[in-house]
Amino acid sequence: MQTKLFERFNFVVFISAFALITFGLLAIYSATYGNELVSGNFTKQLISACIGILIVLAIMYTPPKYLSMSSYLFYGLVILLLIAVLFLGKKIKGQTSWFSIAGFGIQPSEFAKVATVMALAFFLSNKHQDADVTKPRDFFFAVGICIIPVVLIMLQPDMGTTLVFLFLLLPVLYWAGMPNYIMFFIIAPAITAVCAFLGTWYFVAAVLFIIAMMLLFKRNILISVVIVCISIASGLSVNMVYSKLQPYQQKRIMSMFNPESDPLGAGYNVIQSKIAIGSGGLTGKGFLQGTQTQLKYIPEQWTDFIFCMVGEEFGFIGSIAVVLLFLILIWQTIHIAYICKNQFLSICCIGFATIFSFHILINLGMIMGIMPVIGIPLPFMSYGVSFLLSNLIMLGIILNAYRNRKDYV
Amino acid sequence: MDLTKRKNFYYVFSFIICFVIGGRLVQLQVINPEKFDKDAERNSVKTIITTPARGLIFDRNGRLLVDNKPSYSVTITKKEFDTNAIGIVCSLINVEPAFLKEELKKIEGTNRFIPTRIMRDVDFRVISFIEENREILKGVDYSIDPIRLYPTDFRGTHLIGYTKEISQNMLNKQQGDYYKQGDLIGTTGLEAGYENYLRGEKGYEFILQDSKGKEVGPLNDGKNDVKSISGYDLILSVDADVQKYAETLLEGRTGGIVALDPNNGEVICLVSKPDYDLNYFSGKLSPQVWTALNTDPNKPLFNRATQTRYPPGSTYKMVSALASLEEGIMKPNSTIPCEGSFRFGDKVFGDHGAYGSITIPTSIEHSSNVFYYKLVLRIGLDNWSKYGRILGFGDKTGIDIPEETKGLLPSTEYYNKRYGPKGWTEGYVVSLGIGQGELGVSPVQMANYTAMLSNSGTYYQPHLVKFLKNPQTGELVPVTYKKRELPIKKEYFKIIQKGMYLVVNGNGTGRSIRSSEVQIAGKTGTAQNPHGQDHSWFIAYAPADDPKIAICVMVENAGFGATVAAPIAQRIILKYLLGLTDESEVKETFGAN
Repeated sequence: MQTKLFERFNFVVFISAFALITFGLLAIYSATYGNELVSGNFTKQLISACIGILIVLAIMYTPPKYLSMSSYLFYGLVILLLIAVLFLGKKIKGQTSWFSIAGFGIQPSEFAKVATVMALAFFLSNKHQDADVTKPRDFFFAVGICIIPVVLIMLQPDMGTTLVFLFLLLPVLYWAGMPNYIMFFIIAPAITAVCAFLGTWYFVAAVLFIIAMMLLFKRNILISVVIVCISIASGLSVNMVYSKLQPYQQKRIMSMFNPESDPLGAGYNVIQSKIAIGSGGLTGKGFLQGTQTQLKYIPEQWTDFIFCMVGEEFGFIGSIAVVLLFLILIWQTIHIAYICKNQFLSICCIGFATIFSFHILINLGMIMGIMPVIGIPLPFMSYGVSFLLSNLIMLGIILNAYRNRKDYV
Repeated sequence: MDLTKRKNFYYVFSFIICFVIGGRLVQLQVINPEKFDKDAERNSVKTIITTPARGLIFDRNGRLLVDNKPSYSVTITKKEFDTNAIGIVCSLINVEPAFLKEELKKIEGTNRFIPTRIMRDVDFRVISFIEENREILKGVDYSIDPIRLYPTDFRGTHLIGYTKEISQNMLNKQQGDYYKQGDLIGTTGLEAGYENYLRGEKGYEFILQDSKGKEVGPLNDGKNDVKSISGYDLILSVDADVQKYAETLLEGRTGGIVALDPNNGEVICLVSKPDYDLNYFSGKLSPQVWTALNTDPNKPLFNRATQTRYPPGSTYKMVSALASLEEGIMKPNSTIPCEGSFRFGDKVFGDHGAYGSITIPTSIEHSSNVFYYKLVLRIGLDNWSKYGRILGFGDKTGIDIPEETKGLLPSTEYYNKRYGPKGWTEGYVVSLGIGQGELGVSPVQMANYTAMLSNSGTYYQPHLVKFLKNPQTGELVPVTYKKRELPIKKEYFKIIQKGMYLVVNGNGTGRSIRSSEVQIAGKTGTAQNPHGQDHSWFIAYAPADDPKIAICVMVENAGFGATVAAPIAQRIILKYLLGLTDESEVKETFGAN
């Protein structure tokens, strides 16, 4: 019995996820401590986590067939919600991304991440359609699955979440069998765009790199030339678009990359969060003892900036523990994706691992001032009922994949 | 096989992400957390500087002369201040926006994090407005600062002095960084002379504040706070009654009075008129008042007791007399014939009488000019200068307020420099013999000189402060001053003293101030003034046989020393020694016995 339980249940994933949730709850408790306006957040998150465990277990025990079959349904439902939220949603801080249901805010874009990964996985693993991502038709269908929520979320507008969708597509396609050179074709324009923004010499270097790679891949000369041209065009257009922007928009972009340039505006939070984490030192200031956290230097710290509290009050030891928990979780998920014979579940796992990785990179990178200021939350830890539930749905599917790893479907 | 490769690619990729994040954590938290620690502290800890109470000032009898009272100052912490609020703040404290912007510009460097005083002595109305509108007035606060209170009608303007907001220039020149913009600093008089004792030590309170600037409570329960330490109190040698009386005697006139105790150099009173109300400088000094004080033709800010440079007239004759005795040019009983006038070259120097051959005491008694014309030529300029310097001229007396001039004691070098080695003759020296010409002295120098004449040649550094009182322990710390014996034999002073005694008690120029109870010794002087009426001098000490007070009275443009300055000196002596205001009161009091 004991061995059978271990056989069917991945404790490593489960425990690391719940350790992260516990860290998150402590952090939310600390960040909202003594703040009447948001003192309910801890309780809400706790209730969500408790309900979440039931959901995790429910999903884990659902037969994989039902999960894959419900993918399009779930996806369609989420798309409807994303459309509806634009008309019925509450506008908070310039973004229309929330429904308010019975006092709980529901954010469809968070569930859209899960649904999109599932829909992609379902499409790419569907034996009957025999999808092949190297075929343009199937490739663009897959891109289409991603683009619909992207467009709807851009209308809210929520740039951070939009980026998640764009970034999850490539790893998923790669896992589904996209050849290396096509991957490179897709990435090439993005590389030149970023490098062009950094400076002319970066741009030139990037173009030379792409030409070298094209020669290395030894593909059709016409395609290679087209790719290089597209890359150059994308690089040039970035600066053109940038120069056409209003000064205030330029300033926002600049402060994304250099928060110090706008210490009272966009850069404020990052400067404060760096101070919070840095001042935590090796062992931290102790639970509820962080001056930055307790004196509310970081606005809405319980959402995107929740890690500050860990950094400040638990120090390097606490922080590195969180990072290691994430690494364990992600590696296990990749491992499950690898060993799982069900292709739908395998692709789902890779999609979720990508989502987690991207969130961690952007969120922690932003908080510590090495990534642009893009507001996306930290998985399992940031306050947000929708976000936590969507994370737990992913956890449930990952556990389901482990449980059913030996079954072909 | 291909899938295994791809899996590893994902492993590596996610590891790189975590590695970058972990590396950044090491950089922030392990390598240099101190930098962020400081930032975090600066952020959340508000430093409040508590201004210590300035030391109080008491007279010799323990009467409180200078006190403190609380006043409110508006402060701005630049780092937190929202420049959009400039308009509100300006109308609140009633200044031009340009002024405030200028003040804000001055706040730089470390000052950005601490509150800086922008306006002193504001109404309570202003304070309550700030309290009620903290949200819109971020960075604006107030502090309670002690300012000077003068509890009695005692003025003592020039001896007490005033405090003033420290100037940019002084801030830049200060050693260390004790003073901050908007701080008060003793600028004149005792306030300046004893600034380092009076000011005390500032305290620091550390208060936690949240991001809205709301105070949350003391940091570490106030354990890190540094209490401010009150300044030392000054116990003066000044007698408030005598000072007040001396001030009334000089009221309406221009001049200076200094009275010393010849036994120790203690200043009994120090008056300069015209003066001004020190209350102008307590709280905020209005620019109009400041301009008026500076442009007043009577120069009320000028300390005439210590800063004037007038010729002393005949009061200086004793310098030549002492020089001639000590140098052996005159014997105690030597005489000089005084014909009533003196021809030097083709110039005739006059006198007010012909006295025949007279000794030194008689020459002093009658203030014979011819005697001293002849005498100064005998002793020569170099000896005359040498004894002038021994008796404290041409140099500061060392009184413990910063406003003091050295005066001018001409010497051979001086004349050579001024007129060229051949550009001057001995005729210049003749007028120096009677205290005229380029010789320039101040009342405090004259009082010091009088004290040394009366005590037979001991220099005591004149001083206003007897003790510093430690406000914590109540301990009285005596202040040590210089003392030295002059290189002149005591017996020669006796000859001078005899002459000065005769001035008042013989048939001399000061006989009008003779007192039935107190034996006063003195010397009149009239300083020729090319710009107007002569300045009236009188120096005196009493009682003649056991001097307890040495005084110099100088009244500008008042004519003969005997008519104006001498009666003032006499009244102050009577007031000090007997507590009576004048000779008629003395007669009433003692005649009845």
